[in-house]
Amino acid sequence: MKNLFYWMPLMVFCFIACEEDKSIEESGNLVPPTVDEAPNLPSIFINGTLLHAEAYGNPEDPMLVFLHGGPGGDYLNGMNVKHLANNGYYVIFYDQRGSGLSQRHDKDTYSIQIMLDDLTAVIAHYRISDSQKVFLFGHSWGGMLAAAYINEYPDRINGAIFAEPGGLNKDLLDEYGESSRKLELFSEATNDVLYGDQFITGGENDHAILDYKVAMISSFQYHEGNNEGVEGPSPFSRYGAVTLNSFVDIAENDGFDFTLNLNQFSTKVLFLYGELNLSYGLSFAEKEAAFFPEADIRQVDGTGHEMIHFKWDNVYPPVLDYLNSIN
Amino acid sequence: MNIIKILLVVCYCFLAHVVFGQAVNWANNSLENKHTVHLNIGWDYGLIYELGYSYQLDSEMPIILNALYSFPSGEDFFDDFKIKLGGQMSVLEHGPIGLSLAVNGIYRRYENPLTTLQNFGGEIATAIGYYKPRWFIAAELGFDKAIATHFNHTDAYRENIYSEVKDGWYNPSTGGNFHFGVQTALSFSQNAFVFRIGRMATENFNTTPTIPYYMRLGYQRKF
Repeated sequence: MKNLFYWMPLMVFCFIACEEDKSIEESGNLVPPTVDEAPNLPSIFINGTLLHAEAYGNPEDPMLVFLHGGPGGDYLNGMNVKHLANNGYYVIFYDQRGSGLSQRHDKDTYSIQIMLDDLTAVIAHYRISDSQKVFLFGHSWGGMLAAAYINEYPDRINGAIFAEPGGLNKDLLDEYGESSRKLELFSEATNDVLYGDQFITGGENDHAILDYKVAMISSFQYHEGNNEGVEGPSPFSRYGAVTLNSFVDIAENDGFDFTLNLNQFSTKVLFLYGELNLSYGLSFAEKEAAFFPEADIRQVDGTGHEMIHFKWDNVYPPVLDYLNSIN
Repeated sequence: MNIIKILLVVCYCFLAHVVFGQAVNWANNSLENKHTVHLNIGWDYGLIYELGYSYQLDSEMPIILNALYSFPSGEDFFDDFKIKLGGQMSVLEHGPIGLSLAVNGIYRRYENPLTTLQNFGGEIATAIGYYKPRWFIAAELGFDKAIATHFNHTDAYRENIYSEVKDGWYNPSTGGNFHFGVQTALSFSQNAFVFRIGRMATENFNTTPTIPYYMRLGYQRKF
């Protein structure tokens, strides 16, 4: 019995070590591979990174760049925007640095400026002439990024659509975050987010592991009674957890304010908010739109934060009207 | 990962008197009351309720065997839970100062709309403290390893996120967390109220669980 006591752990670990089971660290098992791991995916190499990217429409048409949510999300649930290619717009999609299926990077390499530089490089990659107009269409964090870009380069963009940007400065981000992502102590949705922490852990740059953990708990976004009015699951390929964590730290440690120069952007902008998003609504849209000299605010009926995926038929008319009005 | 390996892991957990169990006042242990029941509420990756039973062996060195069942609050009571089987022993006593070691085997389950995880793990912990018959206070340090985990994904995951996700057993280990903190208790006759609180960090040390703290408030009754 005593010998068994000593040899048993060795036997157990030999069994485990000898069998080639699946590893959670490997892309392709629990999360899809990124563009640097799967060369068949559409991609562009810009600013020192490989981005998952696609374009629809005539390259000579005015360019509309879609900026997805997150940070860390991807453009899959914004694919309805490609229908605007049929209306004379060259629609560009890309997964931002370290997001979606784009190449991963270490946590300490991220900054707001590098995301702006990437957007500049994406525009330059697809733009065929200096006279080609460029519009931005940002959803959630993508709207924040669009504002950051206009704030930094007010003369480079010809118009912008903001679909519920989650806060154009730190105060607004905190206000929206407190309202939209409350954890209720006794709820099942809270367990769905927290209880899995004892099953899976990863270091700060273990991308496949951390990305899977975010995917695993993504059902929290559409749990019953969620404040953002999200109807159910919407498609995404892979979430860039390290990117998300990096920008959470940047926001907490450094703060941010993307509004200081927005008054220099004289072109009218469009703000959209979902009727069912209790955390956003007209009042929050008005607060954000007030940073621009001219803004149109439109409610999208019958939907919430994921309006582009779930209610494109209601998003499309005001977006097309807006683009045609400034084109 | 086949069933034989799972059984071997579980067997080892029993044979080695394995994972971290209950706060024990080693200065108030008597073979007259070998049985103890435990009721706890606290924070352990969620607001949890815990039931436990322990039995003191009639051995030269004080050894207590534990069985614990805990589940988090929520609308679905049985989709998430944790079972610990193991034991703890007092390995060193010097006056009121005592050092104990605990080892447990763990089976735990987690389910949400996208995935179900089942895990076999192990926990080892130690506590060093000042023990008096009516009370004690001790510092504790432990490590909980998720040794092998089975993943099973729902259609919602396949349809909306990744259609080629691979279900099955995953190893090497899918994770591990350290915990360190304090435990204290007050005893009255055959009753005791215990309190544990501390912090957690992942085995990588540069990340933490979403809520990096644990806490237990408990009642123990000996008989």
